[in-house]
Amino acid sequence: MVGHKLIEAELAVLSARLPAQAVDELADGLWETYRARLALHGDSDAGESDLAAREAIAEFGDAELITTVFFRGSPWRQMVVTLLATGPVMAALWGGSLVAAQAWEWQIPFAMRMASGLVLLAIVATLLAVTRARRAYRRARGAAVSGAVALLMLDVGSLIALGLMMSPGLGAPGAPGAAWLLTAAAAASLARIILTLRALPSALSR
Amino acid sequence: MRAEALKGHLDGLLLAALEAGPLHGYAVKEALRARTDGRIDLPTGTVYPALHRLERAGLISGSWSVSGGRRRRTYTLTPAGHGALGGERAGWQEFARAVTAALEVGSWSATS
Repeated sequence: MVGHKLIEAELAVLSARLPAQAVDELADGLWETYRARLALHGDSDAGESDLAAREAIAEFGDAELITTVFFRGSPWRQMVVTLLATGPVMAALWGGSLVAAQAWEWQIPFAMRMASGLVLLAIVATLLAVTRARRAYRRARGAAVSGAVALLMLDVGSLIALGLMMSPGLGAPGAPGAAWLLTAAAAASLARIILTLRALPSALSR
Repeated sequence: MRAEALKGHLDGLLLAALEAGPLHGYAVKEALRARTDGRIDLPTGTVYPALHRLERAGLISGSWSVSGGRRRRTYTLTPAGHGALGGERAGWQEFARAVTAALEVGSWSATS
């Protein structure tokens, strides 16, 4: 079977957007669809093969549709959506517990507080951008994995900082009950660390 | 048949298509179309992400070969996939029985 420029152009678009293995599989399916259409119309002239190619692309789904479906079904996007969904709960837990513990009185350098806040904002912005990505699969996957790893490190850093602040000598002040809230926030961070560690291998593989 | 009508049932349909033996993506789509007399005719390209999801879940396994000079990925139902298909079938039959009973003409008794 000879090739066709419309099918090759469609595959070129998909190659620019999706991983090589997925494109190999899609190419096999698209050429099979084209072959079936050619068998229906015949390939004696260019008009028939053009018609077969156009119908094959319509039947297969155009590059926009296929890219969208691949993005939506990707494990790294699902990981990002889950991580973002934890945001409000984590914000409420950490925010509430830090206020109750009067964290502004803790001996943490201002620069470190600012840096932590900016890193968190950058992570959220990256993860939100990933959920809106529609074209560059590899770049979006890279951003998703980077964002997840950064969030993981921030969670680990928060737990270490909390452990240090609770240690004798530095004893974190606060209202009665603050310790319970801080424990709940730490447990939530620990749960997110485990969740991220479990999701990362699958996100890295596809 | 509209794509929305298949929501929640696509996994079962794909597993059923693979029950008879290993198939590649295009053949899965064709098997579904043939078995349903053309009523279920999915855009071929959208079948692949669903197959990848089933593979990640361990319900099917894929292997590469070369056919006509092209790389081809063929999928086989795993033992877990056979079990999941059984569950999908039982669930669907129960659901279909309930909806059929509810939609039957004259199945609702009048209350005053």
